[in-house]
Amino acid sequence: MMIRKVITRRDFLKSASIAPLAGAFIPALKGGQTDPGQKVRVVLVRDPYALDAAGTPRAETIQRMLDEAVCELLGERDPASAWKKLIRPDDVVGIKTNTWGKLPTTTQVEQAIRRRVLDAGVSEDKVSIDDRGILRNPVFQNATALINARPARTHHWAGMGSCIKNYITFVPKPSDYHGDTCADLASIWTLPHVKGRTRLNILVMLKPLFHGIGPSHFSKEYTWEYMGLIVSRDPVAADATGLRVLQARRREYFKEDRPLQPTPHHIFLADTRHHLGVSGEDRIELVKLGWKEGVLV
Amino acid sequence: MTAQIRPAAGRMASFIPKAVGSWLAEADHVYDAETIFQYIDGAGEVYRSYNMKLLVSRRFHKDGRPDIVVDLFDMGSSADAYGVFTHDLDGENAGIGQESTYKAGLLSFWKDRYFGSVYSEEETKESKDAVVELGRRIAAAIPKEGPKPKLLAYLPAEGLDAGGVRYFHNYSILNFHFFVADKDILLLEQTASAVLATYASAGKKSYLLVVGYPDEAKAARAFESFSKNYMPDAKKSGIVRTEDKRWTASAKAGNIVIVVFNAGSDQFAMNQLASVQELIEAAGKK
Repeated sequence: MMIRKVITRRDFLKSASIAPLAGAFIPALKGGQTDPGQKVRVVLVRDPYALDAAGTPRAETIQRMLDEAVCELLGERDPASAWKKLIRPDDVVGIKTNTWGKLPTTTQVEQAIRRRVLDAGVSEDKVSIDDRGILRNPVFQNATALINARPARTHHWAGMGSCIKNYITFVPKPSDYHGDTCADLASIWTLPHVKGRTRLNILVMLKPLFHGIGPSHFSKEYTWEYMGLIVSRDPVAADATGLRVLQARRREYFKEDRPLQPTPHHIFLADTRHHLGVSGEDRIELVKLGWKEGVLV
Repeated sequence: MTAQIRPAAGRMASFIPKAVGSWLAEADHVYDAETIFQYIDGAGEVYRSYNMKLLVSRRFHKDGRPDIVVDLFDMGSSADAYGVFTHDLDGENAGIGQESTYKAGLLSFWKDRYFGSVYSEEETKESKDAVVELGRRIAAAIPKEGPKPKLLAYLPAEGLDAGGVRYFHNYSILNFHFFVADKDILLLEQTASAVLATYASAGKKSYLLVVGYPDEAKAARAFESFSKNYMPDAKKSGIVRTEDKRWTASAKAGNIVIVVFNAGSDQFAMNQLASVQELIEAAGKK
């Protein structure tokens, strides 16, 4: 059992104002694997035409957005060179998607990733896209590389449906990780069949959910066309950036500071307790590409 | 994958109409506290924390219109049906069941031991009418009302925000509404029952927490744990001025622990504690 000090509301009152308590209080506590002073790169790419009038992603636009983001992230001019930095031809690649019916990763994003993995020289039989079946999927069982892609949304128990949380299906009994409102989701990333395999994280922000209601925690009323993708090698940094966007949208919509409930502390604890990545804004180099209107961060 | 329809589920299903307007029911799905994750993922923890017994889910379909989904929960007791209803109080009163709210296509209500959610996947005037009609008919089919938790009787009436009272059993739900600590320093442990209420105090919100434990010994341990972890600087006074210049005070009365957070003055905090203690005492004499 992990022994640690109790952290109370008063601890936060001592170190900061109360306002960030329910949303972004832990980033002030430093952590993460990155050297102090070194920033983690996160790329946010947006295009006002990413979705068509029916709300369906435009495949060509999505491919271009992903390519631009990955090139920027890795400092390469063309997608082929960039993806070769991520994937070797002999890799076995699991593309971890999210199939939640109300807000899935989308086929267009999945296929854009798959295309570039194949372009990197991986044979078709060594690439698989899966979510709830990954523990029985031979490609995922033998994966040497994982690409993690999921939509951003608020979540009734974890606070936010995040890149970190997307790996919950790597465990046979997800409820084992629900304690303290999913505080230790990042520990999944240290399991032997997961650890060190993730090459890229894509937080899909095409039409995120910024507020949830009811048992299914969904209403179209609380989604908006943000038309973005957040791409990073660091899942914590990607999530922390996505969270800032969701919180900004909540302030804009509700016209008051209404922090996420419950606090998505699994993102910050992934940094401070599990050292999976960095969550502090001051540790993240956010590069913004494309459409600027309504960018919120 | 859903569980077999059991007699209790059959009875719950009988409360739900087979059609509303031209929306027709599809097959029922039944979940218990173990299988609920198959339906609503981690959000199932909220219902489990209120001791849910069974959920009957029925989808209604009408071509060219948004689907409507009814989720009817048997929470085992009217206290927990009330409790899970208080988890999300946003919305307008829809006048259905014992209490209800409606917002953005979602109707929530409770009656007796049942909590109901009726949700239209897209809100239109027509779907809103159908949602409200479904809720009204389900609530009418539930034969009786049930009592609210007894702890509510210990909340002083003066200054109470009646629309902001929450009832629960564990610290995750407490933190959802008012963050106290990242560990269960009040030892709620799913065996205690608690109400959290908001009051106006010096222009800001003050919070009153009243926790009922199974016995006095447990309450004593919880009181000691809270005092030691949250307000060690209060020593035996039971009151402390916190870092934001507000006041936190606590007391124990029998098997009940009372905490006032965020009070605008020490006087207000102590008066709140005294008022609750008087109400507890008065209830004991009945």
